[in-house]
Amino acid sequence: MSGVSTAAYFARRAAQKERVRILYRRALKDTLNWAVHRHIFYRDASDLREKFNANQDVEDVDRIDKLIAHGEAEYDKWRHPDPYIVPWAPGGSKFCRNPTPPAGIEIVYNYGQEDNP
Amino acid sequence: MALRNTLLRHLRVPVTGFNQSQIGFLGSICAFSSHDDHLSKQDVVDRVLDVIKSFPKVDPAKVTPEVHFQKDLGLDSLDTVEIVMAIEEEFKLEIPDKEADKIDSCPLAIEYVFNHPMSS
Repeated sequence: MSGVSTAAYFARRAAQKERVRILYRRALKDTLNWAVHRHIFYRDASDLREKFNANQDVEDVDRIDKLIAHGEAEYDKWRHPDPYIVPWAPGGSKFCRNPTPPAGIEIVYNYGQEDNP
Repeated sequence: MALRNTLLRHLRVPVTGFNQSQIGFLGSICAFSSHDDHLSKQDVVDRVLDVIKSFPKVDPAKVTPEVHFQKDLGLDSLDTVEIVMAIEEEFKLEIPDKEADKIDSCPLAIEYVFNHPMSS
């Protein structure tokens, strides 16, 4: 059973790889939130990369699942309380600040002066 | 009323055409309107290629606008994640996680940045 590579196995591995990529992305952004100065960030980012690289050759699917769950728990523990979000993105300060007006509304440019154009 | 109109028609200065050759020494016109600040495609391509070339694991000579990060440049999937983050920082974008996962190659990245309304 462990030697057969079925489509389900590959689908599961692909899903795991996607989870790992998304976890790495979030962890890297979080590292940037905590370590604002670039030289500290580079050091912490390489440490994070080493942690991910240390487990990259694991083949057992269940062990990979456990490692991903452990990684996500670590990420949850270290999340920054006030992360940097780009202003116009959801959660940022400019989000929904100037929404586009509903269709059909136009500006009257000579209000009050229609008599003498 | 009609007097005013005839006076204005008499006094109005006709608008002459504005040739590009007359401002040849200036280069490009910098019109300060807030509606045309969308990036040009060449601009996007240049900046994305600069970001990829300054990545330490990449050989700058191999970078063209058509490279695939993992097949042509020999990068890892985690390196792809790092490149996408660097592009996000360069263009001040916020890419959702699912979209960022799909960006796998240079033309995809350029397309995404160019079509995003908020890239600067």
